[in-house]
Amino acid sequence: MKVLTHKQEICTGCRACELACSQAYFRTDDRLKSAIRINNNFNTFHAIMCTQCGECINMCTADAIHRDKNGVVRIDRKKCVGCLGCVGFCSELSMFYSDDLLVPFKCIACNICVKACPEGALEILVSQSKGD
Amino acid sequence: MISVNTREQPWRDGLNVQALLDEMGYVFRHIIVRVNGEYVPEEAYARRLIADGDDVQVLHLIAGG
Amino acid sequence: MGKILKQIHYTPAKIERGYSNKSLYINVGDLRIEEKEVTGFMKEKFVGGKGFDLWYLWNAVTPDTRWDSPENEIVMSVGPLGGITQYSGTGKTLVCAISPLTGIPIDSNAGGYFGPLLKFAGWDALELQGKAEKDLIIFIDGNEGVISIEEGEEYPEDSHLLAEELTTRFAGSEEDKVHVSVVSSGSAAKHVLMGMLNFSFYDPRRKTVRFKQAARGGLGTILRDKHIKALVVKFKGIKPNLNNPADIAALNRIGVKYHKEMHDLDEKQNGMRKIGTANTILVMNKYDLLPTRNFQTGGDPEAVKISPEVFITQYLTQGLHDGCWYGCTMSCAKAADHFKLLTGPYAGQCVTVDGPEYECAAGLGANLGIFDPQAILEQNFYCDTYGIDLISYATTVAFIMECYEREQIGPEHTGGLDLRFGNAAASLELLHQMSRGEGFGLLAGLGIRRLKQVFVERFGADPKLLEDIGMENKGLEYSEYLHKESLAQQGGFALTNKGPQHDEAWLIFMDMVNNQIPTFEDKAYALFYYPMFRTWFGLCGLCKLPWNDIVPADNYKTDTPAKVPEHVQNYVDIFNAVTGKKIDNDELIRQSERVYNFQRVFNLRMGSGLRKHDKAPYRSLGPVTAEEYLSRQERYDKQLRELQGLDPETLSLEEKIAATRTWREKQFELLTDAVYKRRGWTNDGVPKPEHLKEIGMDLPMLLEVVEKHL
Repeated sequence: MKVLTHKQEICTGCRACELACSQAYFRTDDRLKSAIRINNNFNTFHAIMCTQCGECINMCTADAIHRDKNGVVRIDRKKCVGCLGCVGFCSELSMFYSDDLLVPFKCIACNICVKACPEGALEILVSQSKGD
Repeated sequence: MISVNTREQPWRDGLNVQALLDEMGYVFRHIIVRVNGEYVPEEAYARRLIADGDDVQVLHLIAGG
Repeated sequence: MGKILKQIHYTPAKIERGYSNKSLYINVGDLRIEEKEVTGFMKEKFVGGKGFDLWYLWNAVTPDTRWDSPENEIVMSVGPLGGITQYSGTGKTLVCAISPLTGIPIDSNAGGYFGPLLKFAGWDALELQGKAEKDLIIFIDGNEGVISIEEGEEYPEDSHLLAEELTTRFAGSEEDKVHVSVVSSGSAAKHVLMGMLNFSFYDPRRKTVRFKQAARGGLGTILRDKHIKALVVKFKGIKPNLNNPADIAALNRIGVKYHKEMHDLDEKQNGMRKIGTANTILVMNKYDLLPTRNFQTGGDPEAVKISPEVFITQYLTQGLHDGCWYGCTMSCAKAADHFKLLTGPYAGQCVTVDGPEYECAAGLGANLGIFDPQAILEQNFYCDTYGIDLISYATTVAFIMECYEREQIGPEHTGGLDLRFGNAAASLELLHQMSRGEGFGLLAGLGIRRLKQVFVERFGADPKLLEDIGMENKGLEYSEYLHKESLAQQGGFALTNKGPQHDEAWLIFMDMVNNQIPTFEDKAYALFYYPMFRTWFGLCGLCKLPWNDIVPADNYKTDTPAKVPEHVQNYVDIFNAVTGKKIDNDELIRQSERVYNFQRVFNLRMGSGLRKHDKAPYRSLGPVTAEEYLSRQERYDKQLRELQGLDPETLSLEEKIAATRTWREKQFELLTDAVYKRRGWTNDGVPKPEHLKEIGMDLPMLLEVVEKHL
């Protein structure tokens, strides 16, 4: 499966990743529309993004979340009813929503932020595990 | 004597909250325990001693159905 | 596909702040289909849901209307908050009609998708009036804007087959099945007075139709008497903004906070996501509250055989979402999959059984002396598919079994059925008889009130004993909690509008265990506040469970943890976020008071609603028999000493039973006095005109009724 990972020790907190993500998916610089969030904790930078753990799949009240063939957890926008149950149930706090969107959003390990990171602090790991 | 939910209940030396709950048959998980008005968290039931004359409140929380 | 008898096209109304502002009237007698305006007056005085139902019902019937009169209506409405997806428990449909069991308005609520889809199809409420000659199917297509009435003779009667067939047909494809919901009853509803309504929702993971029930009071009996076989609604396109709420950001924020609470706390608290309401079976047993063998005692050592663990480990599928409407992360609608039936027309088949809920395990289990999970689930399945309210069924059969064991009736009356406590096979055969409309099942389906009369007049039973042990009030059977030691709950059951159902107030822990409401005034306040608070769920289209079957982590710090203040605030905020109004906690209660008093006056109008109709059978208040007294002798002797200053050593058993009874009956009367006073009613239970004025319900139509009783 594919999963985005972050190296704390390299990250400078420039947030280029957030910008790349929100631009790519929502054409905005608003970091609240990024599926990766960099938090500054006394100058150590933590990234919050989906670990593709899949806890949200079975709890989804509309059966709208599934794991794709690459092991990435995806939301079916047609089926999603915007209940935000997955947002409350995400142990990683990495399922996001915005009041002007009807469905939540999450990291799909697309690699856009990896390319945007000037420090090489982000990487997509690919493993044989299906994630289940 | 101690008071449990404003009813009299015998006291003995070494009585703690957990032992009292067991004796009362209070097996319901969703409760709030206060001793003399002070909240006792679940982790402390076995070590929180009850003194003679204490006022114990065991609030069962469900309102049911 | 049956012949189409009538079809109309309409433009689905756009929903504004929770209301479509239109209601649908269908007369199945003359096939009239009409659209009505939902007025500002209706929204102000009745809010929606049960309020709208009762308003339409009042206007449809007269004091002479009986349950099977053509003018009796089945009215259903989901309420202004119904159908939002962000908060848990927001898909309840409220259903009202004049009940076959009680002769007064019944209100019953169900999950399932029907109500929300009906609203999104453009209808705040649906009235069904008249009587057809042949079975009909009514179909509402909310996307196309089509309503059709077609012949329904060819379809099966039993819900698990009927709803599956209709869902498949009207969906057209597997992926569209979730957009269809069916309301139906079952084969027994034509033969019993306790017929119920199944509300379906399609479970895409299990690939099966599932049900929640508007069970109480005989609504299914009325549906089938009207020759309506099923209602079907289809609506595709559920999104979180369909109610066009005034403030969607507030809905999102409150919803996420609540879902997080569910994620973090449910496992530590009630475990609703694992087992649903049946989590309390052993708790009730331990606290002497699990009704056993017709409410004689509050538990039995054998109850461990029907413990939550047994159902979790042996029957219920774990880990799948089990909500009966979108967004319900409480997910309590459990199911036993691949359950193999052993009796009846479907013996040998594997089915999905919805449940068991607490009432099912308590009623069909302990209260019948049946401590066998297989038998409980099998009765559960057949009650559901045959369209039988399992609470009325269980309480009625418990009564029959006690009559049988006390030799008030015998095998010569039951057609040879050995209806002793614990005989699961006999109970199942009784259910199959109800389905077939034959034998003793036909009689049992009348419910306790009518059975008492039959047993006395035809079988020579002792009328006094039967009055004492028949657990009904107003004609409705009690739901499944033993409550002899909680005076407040005795009132919580008997001092109700529709009859003894625990959806008005469940005060047993607060009263009996916590001792938080010791005085009559305290109890009267609780019997004011909780029934009003819970009535409000029925006005808005909400489920009660998310209110207090989980509570915030810091709830213990509040002054009134039993009220769960943070959740009450959630409800106020959600109401305002959807409707754009600005209600507060007090106005919330006031909204309920208006409808609650309206319903009370409605009862008066139908010839009930007085103090004498609120009387409880003595089994509800105290020990009727010597065995009951002796089973808890220490408790009752102590009460004689402490409460009455009597020395039990000097009294015979009969004297002790009599003294206990006199005391307890007196307590119930004093409680009734206090409750009526707190509710603004006369000592005979009639809402006072000045109280109606104070709450804004001094409508001439109500004053005219109450004045006759002052």
